[in-house]
Amino acid sequence: MNRMAQGLTLVLLGAAALTSTVATDLYLNWVKPGFGPFLIAAGVAMAVLGVLVIVAELRETRQEPEAEGVEHHGHDHSRAPGVAWLLLLPVVAVFVVAPPALGAYTVETTAGASGPPPDQPRSGRFDDGLVDAEPGEVVPMHIRQFVMRAWIDEERLLAGREVELTGFAVPTADGQGWYLARLQMACCAADAVVNKVVISGAPAPEADTWWRVRGRWIEPEGELSDVSEHGFEVVEMEEVTDPPDPYE
Amino acid sequence: MSDRTTSDAAPEPAFSPSLGDTLARGWDERVDELPPEDWGRRRGQRRTGTVWLFALFITAMAMGHAWLSEELTGQAFLAWATIFTAISFQALPFLVFGVALSAALTAFVPASAYQRFIPSRPSRAVPVAGVSGALLPGCECASVPIAGSLMKGGVAPAAALTFLLAAPSINPIVMIATAVAFAGQPEMVLARFTASLLASVVIGWIWVRFGRADWLRPPARSHGPGESRWKVFRESMLHDMMHAGGYLVVGGLAAATLNVMVPREWLLTVAGAPVISVLVLSLLAILLSICSEADAFVAVSLTDFSPTAKLAFMVIGPIVDLKLIAMQAGVFGWRFVARFAPLCLVVGLLSTFLVGGLLL
Repeated sequence: MNRMAQGLTLVLLGAAALTSTVATDLYLNWVKPGFGPFLIAAGVAMAVLGVLVIVAELRETRQEPEAEGVEHHGHDHSRAPGVAWLLLLPVVAVFVVAPPALGAYTVETTAGASGPPPDQPRSGRFDDGLVDAEPGEVVPMHIRQFVMRAWIDEERLLAGREVELTGFAVPTADGQGWYLARLQMACCAADAVVNKVVISGAPAPEADTWWRVRGRWIEPEGELSDVSEHGFEVVEMEEVTDPPDPYE
Repeated sequence: MSDRTTSDAAPEPAFSPSLGDTLARGWDERVDELPPEDWGRRRGQRRTGTVWLFALFITAMAMGHAWLSEELTGQAFLAWATIFTAISFQALPFLVFGVALSAALTAFVPASAYQRFIPSRPSRAVPVAGVSGALLPGCECASVPIAGSLMKGGVAPAAALTFLLAAPSINPIVMIATAVAFAGQPEMVLARFTASLLASVVIGWIWVRFGRADWLRPPARSHGPGESRWKVFRESMLHDMMHAGGYLVVGGLAAATLNVMVPREWLLTVAGAPVISVLVLSLLAILLSICSEADAFVAVSLTDFSPTAKLAFMVIGPIVDLKLIAMQAGVFGWRFVARFAPLCLVVGLLSTFLVGGLLL
């Protein structure tokens, strides 16, 4: 890979990073919102470096006639290995594929991985607004907060409360019912974890459509930790257009 | 239809011949020393050719964007593409940061400065390098080029390698992330710090004792004394970016493929077995190649596994994983990686069992 190709590759890579952050919100499909500024900075740095390399290369071309012959020695240390061409793959990914956020497919294929959230013995650490809400008030919650409450809260404060969840529809494996699911991301889509609840009281909508669902937790009998998946009885639901940040 | 197929086939020649060449040649050889293939051709022509190639590539992408985007609806393919793009873009800022810092070290810090700070005896330099890894925020992607430039600056290779292992494992951001993920379990943070530092230093000492200089392809690039520092900075950044960046993509491809292909159900069936579960999570850490800043959140989500197994996931991940192996191969050569990666794995596991047994 010669220097011109290296410079152009860097410019394209920078352009891909900037396109997905500044021009569009594509980056939210892959990384956390807070990561945007870093991507912009990296995109600018790569584009500037690429332009500098191209300019230096063009300038050398102009001076070449008198320098030719001498210059061949030692100049080719600047060739990059063939593997560097692979840097164009993320560029193709952004501009041609524009990968969407993970959705129903990922939830279906990681079916077995869903279980109770991490044992967190301290119960004072729920970050939902359930305790502060007035009795009878509808509490908006992330699905993550909901399943955490459902699995860990031995006091079962969730019982009987009306809750509002937002997520996408995923048909269950047997095709009978459906889940409302949302992916939780620690850092990037590669580490996304599935949170889901089984919905009852409403017919299954099309997979990957987004819904805001109001209803109640179906309180299980017996030990909370023995429950494999939690149920949710729908009172009312409405379709929503994709939220700008598809992850929790 | 026919023009659609040609349009997406167009960029292919750009990848395949050069990749094939590199594979056939063997990664170890110094590509730089070979005579360039187009020896004798005028460079100006070559450059024009490159520009045309890129123009063609961009046109092909525009056509692909117009026609192919609608066609690409395979669920598994899209999930794979999302994870690949996510890994690439997550790592990119860290890579750029690491490469810039490494280039700044090369260009602006004279070799004498290292000798002042880091003891010249390798066996003493190793622990110093290990502890200094706790100071620099950055992930694996950043530390590989930095370690390369430390070696160039005259730091003993073993000490630079210890830094390479310690920096992504125990830096402040990673420690904070671990504390957030394992809230209420400070012993996990302590165990991670201890086990990772121990493993890094022990690996450094083993390298001092048994390591051979010719296993390591030194990233030697001497710049003429007359060159301006900014030019050295630019050239060094370009070089590291191209070398480490290409391999980062290789690692991202591998990790995305495994992420989509390997069903996680079978992991859960082995979670109960004490030693096997530790080995399985170590293997998972190697395959998934998650950034060290994020791995604690993944570890905490693997609820069925024992604390020691989770510790193994967090100790092994930052020192051996597919992405790291590929990047190290780009900077130091395959002869090095073939010895270093197994060493890291074995020492990392021993350290995990020891610290996990004592603290968890």
